[in-house]
Amino acid sequence: MVQASKRSLLKGAAAAVGAAAFAPQLFAQAKPVRIGYAIARTGPWTGGAQISQEPNYLLWAEQVNAAGGLDVKGVRRPIELVSSDDRSDIETCVRSYEKLMGSDKVDLILPPWGSNANFAVAPLANRFGYPMLAPTALSRKLVEMKLPYFFLLLQQPDRMVGALVDMLVANGVKTLAVIYVDDLFGLENYAALKIALRSTNIQLVEEKSYPGDIKDLSPVLRAIKDKNPDAFIGLSYPPDTILASKQSKEIGFNPKFYYASVGTAFQLYKNVMTPAGAEGVLGMGSWNSKTSPAAKAYFDAHTKKFAGKEPDRWASGHCWAALEILQAAVAKAGLDRKAIRDYVAATTHKTIIGDIQFTASENTATPGTVGQWQNGEFEVVWPVKSATAKLNPNKPAWK
Amino acid sequence: MSVSAWLELLASGLITGGIYALVALGLNLQYGLMRILNIAHGEFLMVGAYLTWMAQTTLGMSPLWMVPVSFAVMMALGVLIHWLTFRRLSATSPNLDIFEARGLMVSFGLMFLVQNFASWMWGGDLRGYDYLTDPVPLGAAQFAGNKLLVFALALLFSAALIFVLRHTLLGKGVRALMQSPTGAQLVGIDTQRLHPLMFGIGLGLSGVAGCLLSMAYTISPSMGEPYTVTALIVITLGGFGSMGGALAGGLLLGVIEALGMHFSNPSLKALLSYSVFIAVLLLRPRGLFAK
Repeated sequence: MVQASKRSLLKGAAAAVGAAAFAPQLFAQAKPVRIGYAIARTGPWTGGAQISQEPNYLLWAEQVNAAGGLDVKGVRRPIELVSSDDRSDIETCVRSYEKLMGSDKVDLILPPWGSNANFAVAPLANRFGYPMLAPTALSRKLVEMKLPYFFLLLQQPDRMVGALVDMLVANGVKTLAVIYVDDLFGLENYAALKIALRSTNIQLVEEKSYPGDIKDLSPVLRAIKDKNPDAFIGLSYPPDTILASKQSKEIGFNPKFYYASVGTAFQLYKNVMTPAGAEGVLGMGSWNSKTSPAAKAYFDAHTKKFAGKEPDRWASGHCWAALEILQAAVAKAGLDRKAIRDYVAATTHKTIIGDIQFTASENTATPGTVGQWQNGEFEVVWPVKSATAKLNPNKPAWK
Repeated sequence: MSVSAWLELLASGLITGGIYALVALGLNLQYGLMRILNIAHGEFLMVGAYLTWMAQTTLGMSPLWMVPVSFAVMMALGVLIHWLTFRRLSATSPNLDIFEARGLMVSFGLMFLVQNFASWMWGGDLRGYDYLTDPVPLGAAQFAGNKLLVFALALLFSAALIFVLRHTLLGKGVRALMQSPTGAQLVGIDTQRLHPLMFGIGLGLSGVAGCLLSMAYTISPSMGEPYTVTALIVITLGGFGSMGGALAGGLLLGVIEALGMHFSNPSLKALLSYSVFIAVLLLRPRGLFAK
């Protein structure tokens, strides 16, 4: 059960020492490209960081090195990851990046996990002139900061919630109840939802916020059940996504459309709710292994490397796309960070989740999407042109 | 609001309260009886939860079997920890206040050790499994089977502890220890054996709480701390060392929170619990049920 990463790190280190001793010429020409990051391995952010983000960094470095190294303007150089635990603490996170960019002077950086950490590190990276392609940051405020070196891979709240409201309208939803976690993520999504609902006839019958460490949502869910809305939206994080789902099952609250946000696209959700229990649940998701052959290859490689641990069907894909973009940029522009930034900003990128293009910091090519659990797979069901399966507009009863 | 809706709301508050009480029992034993303010209480609860999760997912064992197993494992661990740390502390501390301060430091250390051990051992991912989640109808309302089980076991454990403390020789010895440690020693109560045993039982109870909570909630290495805080509030409400008080305090807190969340907003939950906490500290500093 001991985490494999440590063992493989040791093995890697031993192999490197061995190779350096016996075949120094291997290392003579290829100076490694040092890529630094700090990410949560302990503390409350770990759940998200270790599902959607760090496994991808490790898999990517391994794949690139196995293929002969990172292509730096035609020269293959091995990737050396310089990483540390930010302990889910903003201060530690910022200081770690300051050290990486200011004194370690790594060649490139990879971003930390989550809107809050990115919010703190992005201005710093911008000052040092390090391009940062963030796969797990969701906040309009980050876009409004207009940082030229900062790029957001996820669809922002207005797009995600916009797609959801479009879907509800297209399926004749009349009444809606919403609960939202009372932090930056929940508040921004809630605000976006209110705006999206303005141009519709959907009536909001209940809206309540809750704190992130909530242990019991049943009083709120029972009140919502009494109002019998057509649709339920939880703007939630993984633990409360699962809490709300379990408690909805407990009290028999089963609206036609049941949507929960972060965590619905995790393998964990299917494990905890069972595939039959998850059937029909909607959530934030934008790809799966059917999206493209490259997505399938990525999915399989990830599952193989991490002993059956699947990437999530939302941010993991965007994280991989960010690494693909960075890799292409380095092949084109070398390690000149200004040139990398310009390449990222000006190009339409082909990635496993489709085309990505940035308008200022924002990815404006990926449409807002809605996912749904169907037969044990999280399918993209909206908009129709990105869909991997057809929407089931009548959630079956919880099992 | 209809009568049945009221009952439903109260029942859901009582169930959450039962969980709070269960979490508080172990800490109450440690702090109430021995003045060991075990800040790492929630961490041991987390270990109990992980043991249960591991047994369920890798061995296919029923989480219910893990209730006695977690208790035994954590109790053994508790006796060991007591022998390694608190035994020495009580031998070298000149008085109880200094012992309490030093014990607090030690338990802080334990908190970091145990939390990091869990991260190293099981990684930081959220974990969970599906067990007894099907709703059980209870009158007009319905509740998840695992929640009812947790509630029933919380009541059972509280009742058992109250019984043991009130009606057995062991309980008498423990209560004597609480009232006057020196006096207890003078009349021949073997504190050298009673202390580690009680500390072990406290840890065992936190293991049971963790085992039961893992049926209803997702688990992660950082899940413990909020439970330590809740447990502290509950034992302050109920009065240090009073098992009946902890049970009543837990249930009361659960009901207050459920009502508060229903009529105001879940975001105000912390405000509610801390208002109750502060009010009790100001008006009845020895606990709601102190005579």
